[in-house]
Order: sequence, then structure tokens, then C-alpha cells
Amino acid sequence: MSSVKLDRRQFLKMLGVGGAGTALAGCDLPTTITLEEGKEEVVSYLLPEEYVIPGVGVYFASTCTQCNAGCGIHGRVREGRVLKIEGNPDSPVNTGKTCMMGQAGVQTHFNPDRITAPMMRKSGRLQTVTWDEATAELNKHVGAQSNLNGGRFAWVTGSVSGHQSVLINELMAQLGSTNHYAHEVVNASVWSAVCQDMLGDAMPRLRIDKAGTILSLGADFLGTWISPVHFAREYAKFRSPAKRGVLVQVETKMTLTGGNADLWVPARAGTEGILALGIANFMVDRGWNKVEIPAAVRAELAEYKIEKVAELTGVAGSKIQRIASLLSERAPGLVLAGAPVESSEQGYASVSAAMLLNIIIGAVGTTIEPATRFSEKALQAKAGDTKSLLAFAKGLQEKRFDVVFISGANPVYTAPDALKLVDGFESVPFKVVFSQFPDETTQKADLVLPMYSAMEDWATHVPAYQTDGAVLSVQQPLMEPLYKDTKGFGDVVIALLKQRSKNYEQFPDYYAYLQTAMMNLPEAVTGPKPVKKEFWNGLLQKGLMVTKGDRATLSAKLSVPVFAHAAHHEGGHDDFMLVPSARMGMFDGRHANVPWIQEAPDQITKVVWDSWAELHPEAAAKLGVANGDLIRIASEHGSIETQVFIHKGIRPDVIGVPLGQGHEEYGRYAKGRGANPLKILNPVLEQKTGELAMYATKVKVSKTRKTVKLVKMGGSDTQAGRQFVLTVSADKLRRTEGEG
Amino acid sequence: MSFKNVLENFSNFRKDAEHGGHHTYEHRWGMAVDLNLCIGCNACSTACYAENNLPVVGKERFAKNQAIHWMRIERYWDPKDEMYPEQGASFLPMMCQQCGAATCEPVCPVAATYHTPDGLNAQVYNRCIGSRYCNNNCPFRVRYFNFYSYYESAWPEPLQMQLNPDLSVRDKGVMEKCTFCVQRIRAGKDKAKMEDRKVLDGDVQTACQQVCPTGAIVFGDTLLPDSKVSQLWKAHQVKRGPFTQKTPKDDADIRGYRIFDELNVDPSVMYLERVRETEV
Amino acid sequence: MRFKIGCMNISSARNQSTQRAGSGLAFWRGWVALMAFAAFVTVSFSARAELPVPAHIKPPVGTHQGEKVPQPIEFPHNIHVKINKINCMYCHTYARRSNVAGIPPTSKCYGCHKVIATDKPRIVKLMEYWEKGESPRWKKVHDVPDFVHFSHQKHIKRFVFDADFPVEDVQQVCGLCHGELREMTVAEKKKPLNMGFCQRCHKANGGPGDCWKCHK
Repeated sequence: MSSVKLDRRQFLKMLGVGGAGTALAGCDLPTTITLEEGKEEVVSYLLPEEYVIPGVGVYFASTCTQCNAGCGIHGRVREGRVLKIEGNPDSPVNTGKTCMMGQAGVQTHFNPDRITAPMMRKSGRLQTVTWDEATAELNKHVGAQSNLNGGRFAWVTGSVSGHQSVLINELMAQLGSTNHYAHEVVNASVWSAVCQDMLGDAMPRLRIDKAGTILSLGADFLGTWISPVHFAREYAKFRSPAKRGVLVQVETKMTLTGGNADLWVPARAGTEGILALGIANFMVDRGWNKVEIPAAVRAELAEYKIEKVAELTGVAGSKIQRIASLLSERAPGLVLAGAPVESSEQGYASVSAAMLLNIIIGAVGTTIEPATRFSEKALQAKAGDTKSLLAFAKGLQEKRFDVVFISGANPVYTAPDALKLVDGFESVPFKVVFSQFPDETTQKADLVLPMYSAMEDWATHVPAYQTDGAVLSVQQPLMEPLYKDTKGFGDVVIALLKQRSKNYEQFPDYYAYLQTAMMNLPEAVTGPKPVKKEFWNGLLQKGLMVTKGDRATLSAKLSVPVFAHAAHHEGGHDDFMLVPSARMGMFDGRHANVPWIQEAPDQITKVVWDSWAELHPEAAAKLGVANGDLIRIASEHGSIETQVFIHKGIRPDVIGVPLGQGHEEYGRYAKGRGANPLKILNPVLEQKTGELAMYATKVKVSKTRKTVKLVKMGGSDTQAGRQFVLTVSADKLRRTEGEG
Repeated sequence: MSFKNVLENFSNFRKDAEHGGHHTYEHRWGMAVDLNLCIGCNACSTACYAENNLPVVGKERFAKNQAIHWMRIERYWDPKDEMYPEQGASFLPMMCQQCGAATCEPVCPVAATYHTPDGLNAQVYNRCIGSRYCNNNCPFRVRYFNFYSYYESAWPEPLQMQLNPDLSVRDKGVMEKCTFCVQRIRAGKDKAKMEDRKVLDGDVQTACQQVCPTGAIVFGDTLLPDSKVSQLWKAHQVKRGPFTQKTPKDDADIRGYRIFDELNVDPSVMYLERVRETEV
Repeated sequence: MRFKIGCMNISSARNQSTQRAGSGLAFWRGWVALMAFAAFVTVSFSARAELPVPAHIKPPVGTHQGEKVPQPIEFPHNIHVKINKINCMYCHTYARRSNVAGIPPTSKCYGCHKVIATDKPRIVKLMEYWEKGESPRWKKVHDVPDFVHFSHQKHIKRFVFDADFPVEDVQQVCGLCHGELREMTVAEKKKPLNMGFCQRCHKANGGPGDCWKCHK
């Protein structure tokens, strides 16, 4: 050890050793008075890097993994521990900002309920084992000597990209399996499918900052849709004095984005596409179209007269006309369609209607721009969806799998009971879950492999939604692993790959593999990189690589979707459409184990630490319930119970239950709290794509005799004349400021 | 402190800003929050928890209004007799306004809260005895009391490793509130001092300002004429000092105002009216 | 304000004063002189600086009877500071770069001691730590409570680098708070480091008096 050569990993190790005692609040409970000598310990570094100065924070660049947007982050590291996350100003995705989930990343990392050692199911219970035992068990089933039948192997992941995706594909190929199910509850897969079919590009760039009018059909782009932080940055420009954009949000239950709308329109569930066609027809009729409309299209559109559309959607004719006028006068327009529209029975048709309207108003090429794809196809994102969950569940039902891997997904929690996934999963002979936390799926595993957190591990990410240039974002450890018996995902996969292929022998770990892989990227992608060390250090310093990428070209296919119009009948006072909405914070339930997220009031309802069912005052009156009353919400496939929350931001024929709670496992903050609406979803499918239609479940609501105290952030709901949030009318602004 | 001392100081205590206040200010930190840009996403609130060692109190204590959220987002509905809130919701980020004539300062029995030469309303945890009179007097209700020793339960191992060593973890019996990230101000000033220069605009960013995705929060030194926050205050015609009768602004694009201005507390936070298309 | 009086010196003062003692007024003058001399001696010896206090500093007032805190290695400051005349900031480099002065990294010790005095028992012990890849777990002697923000670099800047004229030996400044390290092996706390100690020096030397400057 006399001539110590250090690389970054060893350095971090030193930091860890040095850091343990230096931090005053680091190891023990905080002491308040230490005037005595000899009470606290101060442990110096052994051999620190030049730039490490105790008491001064060092910032390292990495990538946030709290959702799939791929925002770049800077982690502030003091004495070997990461304290705070800031946005990376160099990332074109988030330009230096993060959302609340990104901020909460440190609590995901330092979470007290992390799994700290491998576990194996022995005599029916999960018991702690060593990595040697775990590896032996793993090899027994998937190792080179295992005789695994690849067709009977399945791997469920979340969205994947970058070199993790490459490794997963490699291992799948090695094992001879094609059963990779990339599953995400929150996804934009129907939007992507429509964009691909009608525009020729699956994820075009949406210029919210350039739009004059945005008509958002349920797209919560400030909260959960695609890349919320990036859209929020653009939204700031949209609202600037130069632009004075108008936001019209059409949805049955108010989302965060809806809360910021100039006009909030609660159209009847499932009729948003018809609304779009009605607006399109009205505009074409007036000659407000920006592209040539063939006679055939005109004729098909003509079916959607204002009166008919008003009747079907429940939106007043004058309002429909007003929206059409806005799209024309306050150009350029942009029409978006999000989860409530995508994830309905006729979701594809509805989104197609929205896209048709986009084409008609000339958005293609103005507010919808071609995407810049990352040139290396193997690294591009494979976005998760719910179709994969359905396929996986079917495979389980048909007992097609002997070995299942799960990483980055929690299907036991997210799968509706109707799919009978849990029983099928339990009967798989060998289930391996790569996990940080004891979530529902992990608790059912046969082998649990404890993973590094995102702040301890290496990875690369290529966001599905690219912005300025095609980004490859690097994730690097922000501190030494907290627990010695956890491992990195890439490390485990490489160890498996080594068994069947000599190509990986040179790589002791994923870090080594990444370095080589990045160096091997063509210079057309990376730019000149003559010296490996310089290139690599530069990459880590910046945290990402912005490449020119391949620009897609957009076409515009004018086609009018066909809707099956069900006759609309009013249901009984206890019949509702269930709206299981994701929100910024809890997301799809993955952040329920983070205390900051539980304590953060929901943006619209301000409820904390529980789930709730939103009802309009009229609906509540008919049911005879008040805030806090526990109600039973029953679909054809189960029921849940949760507390009532009454507000006007929801249609009276709809009941809104947020995603996120109702965990039966997942640690002390999440377990046993609230209800999970995903469980009772009816297995309705979106007709064209086969995605699960999450917003198509009809439910019956009944009272229980129980009431609980509704816990929300205090304060009144109205300003009552107090001048807190003052609003000035944009019209008044225009008249007084002239052109503005 | 002799009685004579008290009497002398008391008359100086609430000198208004035009006469230099009771300090000569070397900085005067202020904020401008653009409600037109605020989307109510809670990023600022969560960043504040991360930066300032705020404890999570849990459901039962939250129900008793004992939650400690120095920065909170309030959500208001505009009360119209309509079926739906067609104009959306109104989001208000509310934090300690660092009032120039703070109502919390004179009522503290032990002078644990006072006005710093930087224009901040300081809370000294060591001196606080927990009378809670300060929050009682605060019109914004932005002061929070530690009813329990949260350090015993809010950070189970290893969550305590995330704690920021630049500031204390407060014990039971002590009031706390937003400090405009004074630890960052202190660090920024120290850094400038070490480099023998003045503090420039952008040297100090509060946690909420740094994270806000839309850039709704602007923070800086209102004594620097070219700082972003000074320019905003000037452009939107809001001045420090006592409240003068509101004269109608000549231009609707001048959107600045302070909350509870008429109470004469001289807040250091200016809000900008949000702009909505009301004619839709 | 109480001073700890070095025994040796007061007895010599007393010896001197008995010579001067006379009767009547002379007697009282003698007592005054004694007291003045004792005060002078006391002041200079409570600072215990053989090095003079730099003229631009009004030194902090107050002492503390610290014990010798047992450390993993009994590091001899006297050898390094008095005999070898090593500048404090050669080892405690972070003092002018950070809020914390810090204990030098073990690599600093190793830098010299891989060749110097390698047979001495304390150096052997140091090498054991180095070979194991561990740093000794020193016990903190000069500590302020967790709620206090103290910036070493600002104090060094104010009293060493920004001084009107150069400080001859940086120990003159460091010693004002850390005591006479030249006479000690391991550090002993010779100043109280309580709020009064800091605040009096601030007041005398024009430092900030704002609570929030130091209370965090």
C-alpha cells in the first residue's frame, strides 16, 4: 500500500472511511452541546483527492431515475455522503431544475427499509443468505450448466435504455428467450403509436414554448406526462409576456396541469376525441384549416356537427366554438392527449382525432417538431406499457414460464386483480427479483438480489423524449454503497453473461464495461476522443453527452378515426366511472415509501398520508356522504374502501381515486395505507393497441358506516376576499399594454 | 439589559426603512414570486425539506396542524357559483415574508427573534423558550413549533445521513421558520469575502429558487440595483417600507403586490399577479 | 473576569514586591504596584505566549483548564512546532480553505515519516495505520457545538492574511484560541471557546455581532 495509486472508486472508499466520523450529525443522533474535550471523534482522510476539502461540498453529475424522463442532476456530496440533489444545468432535458420526486431521491437512497442482503425462500419463508449461496442458486437455474429452456424464461422490467438495455438484450439472446416485458403504468404508448402512424415518428418534440394555444385532452404534462420538468421549463416561456399562451384542459378530473388552465373543460369520459373532431369540423367549415383538406376527409368530419358533439360530450356548443376560435386566432396551436384519453377503450381513435386536429391547425412543423434520435439504436429507450403486463399475466396463466426475472417493476402491486397475476406468479417455480425494497413483488420472490440505489450505481440513460439534441445521460455513484452486501444491476448481469460468452471476460464489473463501451461509440456520435482518460473524465464531469443525433422527418396523414358511439345514458346516483390518476409525487405508487412524498400534500386536494376518492358536491349530496366518510367502490372484479374528498374539480359522474397508496408491503411509510385503485380495474382493453384501458372501469359506490378524519393541509379553500392570489385578465393586459 | 436600554431601543425598533431601519443594511434580501409561472408542483416545498433538515411529522401530527413545512403551497378555489372551477386553481407559495416591521419580533419574551443587518427576520433556536407568541402574532402563520423531539423519530437510520451539516436539527420546544436559506447566504458571503469581492447577483440561491422548474421564484439582494429581484420590484412598482394607499397602476402588466400589505408589516416578498384568459 | 495565574510567576512577582514594601503610603503604592505587576504578568501569561501577540489583534480573553485527552497516537506538537518550526498550516491546510481546520490526512504524516524517525514507536504505530488503510480515530479537543457556525478560513484571512503587516509566526494567531501548542504533545484545550470568549474578541476587534452570523 506504500505507493497508493487511486482511481475514483478507491477514492470514494477513502471518503467513506474518512467521512464516517467527521460528520457531526453523521453517525449518532445529533448532539446539541459539545464543549467537552474528547467527546467526539474526528477521523481524517487517508489519502484524499486534491479537490476534497472537509467542510466544502463537492458536486458530482449523475442522472435521476425517479421517473423515466432522464433529467440530469448534480449531487452535493459532503464528507462522502450525498446530501442534496440539484438539477444539472447542462442537461437539455431539465436545464438545472428538478421536480419533487427528484428532490426525494436522497430519501429513496437513504431509506431505512432497503434490503441489505440477498434472500432466498427456504421452507416457505424468505431468509437471508450470502451472495455465494444466492449466486449458486441463480446459476443453478440460469447458469451455463443449467439447461434452461429459453422459451420458458421471462424478464419483466420497467422502461429501459442505455447500456442496461444492451445487457438485458444480450442476456435474453444468450438464454434464447424473447419474453422481455417492459411494463410501466404511467406511459404514453398510445400517443406514441398514433404519432408513429400519423406523423411517421413515435416521439416528436412538442414545442409548448412556441404554442399560442394548447388544447390538452387530459395530458398532465406538468405533472406526469412524458417529461414534466422539461415541459414546465417550456411552460414558463408559454406564460411569458411575449407569448401569453392560453391553456385549455379537457379532462374529467382536475390534474395539476388542469389546475393551471385558463379554461378547464370537464367533457364526458371517453368523448375527448369526439370533441377534437367537432372542433376540427368547425374550423374546416370556417376555412380556418392550415392545410389542404381532401373532400373525403371533409365529408367524414362533417358528421361531427357542433350540436351533436355538444350533446355527446356534455360541453356547450359555444364553448366548443370558443376553443376553435382560440386555436385559430391564438396560433400556433398544439393539441395533446394524455392518459385519460389514451387509456380508454377507444383511446387510439381519440388520440388520432387529436392528432388530426393538430395537422389541420398546422401544428406539424411549427409546434410539433421532428425528434432527434440517439444514433445508436441499441441504446435507445424501450418504453414500458401495460400491454406487456397483460402478455406477462397471460403467460403466467398458461404456465409458460419456469424462471422469471423482475427488475424495476412491481407487477404484484400494479396488476389488476382481474388478471389473476398474483396466483400465476406464485406458481412460477423460480422467481428472481432484483430489488432495493421489500415491495409486494419482492416479498413473493424465491431469490431476492439486493441492488445498489441509483446513487450508488453506474448506468447510462437515453431518454425516450429527446429535446435539444440527442442526449445520453450518465449515472455515476454519488457515494460509496451504504451496504456491503448489495450489488449493482450491471455487475450482476455481466457476471451472468460471462458464463456463456468470452466477450465479457475482460470486464471485472459494469464500470469497466461502460468505459469500454463508451469509448467504442463511433466518433460521429461522441465527437473526437483521442485520449480515453480525458474523454471519460470529461463525460463524468458534464454528466451527459449531447449528440447531433438523427433527425426524423415528419409526415402528416390526414385520416378521420372511426368512433363507435355508445348511446349515452345517465347512470344511477351510485354509478361512476373510475379515474385512477397518477400524480407528481406518488407517481404510480413507486414513491409511497418516501416520507417527504407522503407528507407532501397532493397538489389539487392537499390530502396527505392516505388515499381518497374525489367526488363532486352534487354526487356526494346524492350519495349522502361528507368529507372523510369511508365508501366502498366496487367494480366487477373487486372493491376498495377509502375516504371521501369533495371538490368541484371533477365531473359528478366520475370518481377519482389517486394511484400510489394501498401497499401491502414496501416498508414502514407505505405499508397498510389507503387503497390501490389498480386492483379493481376491469380488464378492458384499448381497442387498437391492446393496452389496458385504465380509465374504462365502471364502479358502484356504496356507503359504509365508517368515517375517518380526512387529513389535509390546513387552511381555507377560498380566499374569502383576502388578496392572496390575484388574477389579472389577459384581456385587460392586452388592452392596456397594446401589442404585448 | 437595563430598563433605560429597553426604552431607548424600543423607539428605534420599528423605524421604517426610509430612515435606515434600526440597522444600516449591507444587504436586503428579497424575493419575487411570479404566480403566473407557479404551477403548484411542490418541488420548492420538497427542496426546502431536503435543504433545511425539516422533519416529517407523520399523519396524526399533520392532522393536528403540527406539520413543519417552511415553504407550503396553498391552493385556493375562486369562489364562483359555478358547477366547476373553470378557471383552474390558484396556487400560492407561502413562506416567511421576512417582514421589515415584523409582528413576531416585538412579542418574543426573550428576543429570540430579531432583525438582522441583512434584512432577514432571524430565529435563534438557542434563545427560544417556546412561548409560541411569535406564530400567534404572525399574520401569515409561517412559523412552526417543534412540539416533539423529532430527531428521535423522523430520521431512522440511515436517513440521518442526509441531514445538512450547515444548519441545526432543532430540538423540542423551539420555533422555526423559513430563513431564506441563511446558511447559503452565509456561505455565499463568506466565499465573496474570501475572494475579496462583493456578493454578486446569482451567488446565493435559495433552495426553492434553485429547484423551481418554471423559475417562478426569484431571490436576491434588493440593495443591488441591477439584481434580478430589484429589477422586478422596480418594474412592478412595489416599494419597501410602510404601506401607502394603493394607487391604481397605469399598466395592467404591472402585476406586483405584497400580501397583507395593509397590515404595514413590510414583507420582503413580492408576488406577481397571475394572468389568465378570463374571457374564454 | 477571572484569570488563571501561573504559580511560578506570581511568586516571583511577590518576591519583587516584598523588596518594595515599605510603610504607610509607600506600602499602598507597593500593593498597587504589585497588583499592576500581577495583572500584567497575569495577562501575558494567561495568553501564555512567549510569542508576542500581533499588534493588530486584541486577543481573546479567557482560559480553560483543559486535560490531556488521550489520543490513539500521542502526537508531539512540541517537536513539530517548537523544534522543527513547522508552520501550523502546513499540516492543517484546510484552515485557510474551509470552515473546518481539520486534522491532516494521514498521507501528510506519511509524506515525511516514510523516511523520518521511522524507528520511533509512535511512527511505527502510524505506519501500522497506513498499511491497514485506516486513519487514526482522533478525539476532538477544540470543538464548538453543532449549532455554531465557525469559519476558520475567515479568521485566518482576517488575522493572518489581511493583517496590516505580516504576522511573523502564524502560531501567534493560532495560539490565541488554541493555546501554546509549542509546549504540548497532544492538543489540550486551554481556551474556553464558549460564546462569551468568541463574542468579546469579536467586539474588541470589530467582528460581526449578529446572532445569525454564528448560530445556525
